[in-house]
Amino acid sequence: MIGRIKTQTVEASQFLVDWMEHRTGIVTMLEHFLYEPVPKRGAWLYTLGSAVLFTITLQFLTGILLLFYYAPTTDDAWNSVEYIMTDAYFGQLIRGIHYWSANFLMAFIGLHMGQVFFSGGYKSPRELNWIVGVILLLLVVGLSFTGYLLRWDQDGFWASVVGMKIGSYSPFVGGYVIHFLLGGDVVGPATLSRFFAIHVWLLPAMIAPLIGAHLFLLRRHGVFGSEFEYTDRIAKLHERQRLEEYARYEADEDEGEPYVGRRDRADREGYERDGE
Amino acid sequence: MAELQKDPITRSDFLGFGVMGAIVGAILTIPPAAFVLSPVIKTDLLGESDVGSGWVEVASVSEVSAEEPSHFKVEFPLEQVYGERAIQKKYPGSQKSDMKYKLDNAIWLSWKAPIKQQGRQGSTGDIVGKPERPAFLDQKSEGFTESERKEIMSRLNVLSNSCAHLGCPVRWFPHEQLFLCPCHGGMYDINGGWVGGPPPRGMYRYTEAEVRENGKLYVRHKYDIEPGLDKQQPYVV
Repeated sequence: MIGRIKTQTVEASQFLVDWMEHRTGIVTMLEHFLYEPVPKRGAWLYTLGSAVLFTITLQFLTGILLLFYYAPTTDDAWNSVEYIMTDAYFGQLIRGIHYWSANFLMAFIGLHMGQVFFSGGYKSPRELNWIVGVILLLLVVGLSFTGYLLRWDQDGFWASVVGMKIGSYSPFVGGYVIHFLLGGDVVGPATLSRFFAIHVWLLPAMIAPLIGAHLFLLRRHGVFGSEFEYTDRIAKLHERQRLEEYARYEADEDEGEPYVGRRDRADREGYERDGE
Repeated sequence: MAELQKDPITRSDFLGFGVMGAIVGAILTIPPAAFVLSPVIKTDLLGESDVGSGWVEVASVSEVSAEEPSHFKVEFPLEQVYGERAIQKKYPGSQKSDMKYKLDNAIWLSWKAPIKQQGRQGSTGDIVGKPERPAFLDQKSEGFTESERKEIMSRLNVLSNSCAHLGCPVRWFPHEQLFLCPCHGGMYDINGGWVGGPPPRGMYRYTEAEVRENGKLYVRHKYDIEPGLDKQQPYVV
């Protein structure tokens, strides 16, 4: 009885998998995504990219949740954050995750960049993925900057003022950029609206397809390509060196005299030739 | 080799696509760009400000302390987004005009201290004496004559609390006898002159300030930003 149910379940799930595979090819794709030979050396370092992906996913999810209560006006912004923190169920948890994963996101991005840089993962043909990654970094910095003002407290307000004034020192475009961000010539309702629009729609809408491109390029060239290429090349080098050594010894054996003696004779001959 | 264009394209087709593309592109991009950039166009090209240009009352000048700077809060009317004047005129009872956001600035008022030795920006600050309060302020606090009002204005420092470095609010520290900035350690003397730290200049002064017969000081939202340099200067927030 139990055996029959088991066989039926296996058959049904196999049918579902085959059905999906035939129509979308998703099973092969998942296989390609999930089963991949990983080099032993520095295996933990290769989780940093996934850590970035995980934290940024958390940002998207908790950000959507926060939007259910947040009100982007100068009158209500701080009060709505206060409501999230004190009255809403699990509000502190949701906002805490949004806040802390934003901090960890920046740290992970730095470590991820360092790992890619020092392992040479940016080299041909992966240059474009590095460039996409740097654009992603700038977008995340923009998100951190715009998110800080949204809580509309003294901390976020003055940090944004200082940040915008740093931007205003940039040559030629400084004033324009600042007036674009401020939505006028002073911090006010327009600034909050703009930062909200940029933080919640503009930058996430830009970052999502770029994450897709980043992952596509990653899949196209393989994660550990450079790593394997490197170990391959090292292995080949060692092999060649070994063969050359052998070849030398074999030559020595043919002449019937040890390597050192042959070198000495060669030196002597050279000396004599010089003397002629 | 990767090939993008399989069919050859004629010259007239190419030019036609170019012209059509430019027209369609302009129709598609100009309205949204102008929509998003309208504050930039209004502030930088048309020279408009969101801050009302009217006079705002600060305080009675007799309240300014003789030894130290005193600070006063001013509220400038703001016409940004939902404070817009036209909307308010059109719909006086609308929710839009009920929004409470105002531009709060703090003003530091102090009596000018004579500069005994001129300092140099970036190396040393001025060496200043004691602040000089006009003596007639002990007798009366209003109904000043024309010459008295002139004297008050020539002796009064009307300073913005916004640091000239990156705009943090500065505060007077009586023990150090300096204005100190909490963010990056900017230091100013009682006249608002640069003493130390990263600010590239002294504190911003209100260029349009006047004392009226009731003994009160009025200001407008204008600062001594050098003309021509204002695109490069960090804006006073």
